[in-house]
Amino acid sequence: MNRTKRLRGLKQLLQDAVEHGSLAVERVQLERAKLPFALLERVPTIAAPARGVHLIHDAAVSTTHGMIRLVNRVVGDTLDAVIDEVERADAPPSGEGSEGS
Amino acid sequence: MGKKLELAIAALNGLVGDHLARSGNGLATEMVLVHRGEPLELDRAGLADAIGTEASRLVVLVHGLMGTESVWELPDGSDYGSSLAGELGYAPLYLRYNSGLSIADNGAELARLLEAVVELAPRPIAELVLLGHSMGGLVIRAACHDASVEQRRWLPLVERAIYVGTPHLGAPLERAGRVFSKLVASVPDPVTRLVAQVADLRSDGIRDLGDADLRHEDRARRAPVLGLRDPSHPVPLLDGMRHLLVAGSVSADPRVAALFGDALVPLESATFRQRPGGAAHDDAHCEVSLLPGIPHLALAHDPRVYEAIRRFFEEPT
Repeated sequence: MNRTKRLRGLKQLLQDAVEHGSLAVERVQLERAKLPFALLERVPTIAAPARGVHLIHDAAVSTTHGMIRLVNRVVGDTLDAVIDEVERADAPPSGEGSEGS
Repeated sequence: MGKKLELAIAALNGLVGDHLARSGNGLATEMVLVHRGEPLELDRAGLADAIGTEASRLVVLVHGLMGTESVWELPDGSDYGSSLAGELGYAPLYLRYNSGLSIADNGAELARLLEAVVELAPRPIAELVLLGHSMGGLVIRAACHDASVEQRRWLPLVERAIYVGTPHLGAPLERAGRVFSKLVASVPDPVTRLVAQVADLRSDGIRDLGDADLRHEDRARRAPVLGLRDPSHPVPLLDGMRHLLVAGSVSADPRVAALFGDALVPLESATFRQRPGGAAHDDAHCEVSLLPGIPHLALAHDPRVYEAIRRFFEEPT
């Protein structure tokens, strides 16, 4: 099987794992925070600030995970470019496709 | 490519191979015949190189879940295929496939591949022997079922089929995993739901092992709760060929063997002991070989298993 095809597959698998893992953890963190914030928001004296903190918490969690996914995509694109280079370097002079070991 | 890397990729394919294939991932293994460790070019020249120009009797070896053809290797470097070649003149062909795909899909693909082998062989094929370890035996049965429906030319050439540690009635470990996943998913908590989602990532191939689902429609009969006994099975062993069912066990003690089988496959499942209600097959065409003290994986490369296979060839078909 083509070596670079497998490298690209490995890169894609790791990228998928980070993307889906981040989405799943974000969902858990947002869900987990719902109950304590809901309880705090029922106390009249602190309901307004609790709602504010809840919003900030959710925004911070989503932004953090959004950044993780963004960096993941950028790293993925960079690795694609590197693998393209390896593929070009491996290609025989005739211009035919490279064969992996 | 190194053997360790091939094994790692095979394990990955067994675990999430259906996802890899669906997403067009380059790590997805395509079904190929392997010769001297390299995928065989399936054309006349490639096949002649692998089996020779005089071969008219073939044995096809099919590995199990997360395996490669290297599972067959005995410590002395031989394997069941090379031994059958040396002693009886059968030319061995080793299959490599994505064991994470459904057994039905792999069976249909194997049926197509064998059709091509019969067509491209340098000499007309007189006999085809199919030998599968674990899931490989189910893939063989799915291929035979597909071939009987599609009326493939190779099916009448199969006089012997050998199943080594094959869970004909399913594997309880997967059925337990199925129940665990459902239990955890039913807890109304985001963390347990996440655990259930991770458990559900296991491939179609692994899921099919639970009840030995050979056809896509068989999945509809999956029990909603854990069956403590092996289920009955709707697809019989085909008539028109002889079947050898080899079952190992973790211990020579019959009570331990009855409880744990070969550690992964119970004796009842490996020997296809149907309960009333399952599809009946002709027991006269079946031979069972019980080999105490050989656990599941070792069944693929044990001289005592080869002896049982060798004896099976001494009997007339």
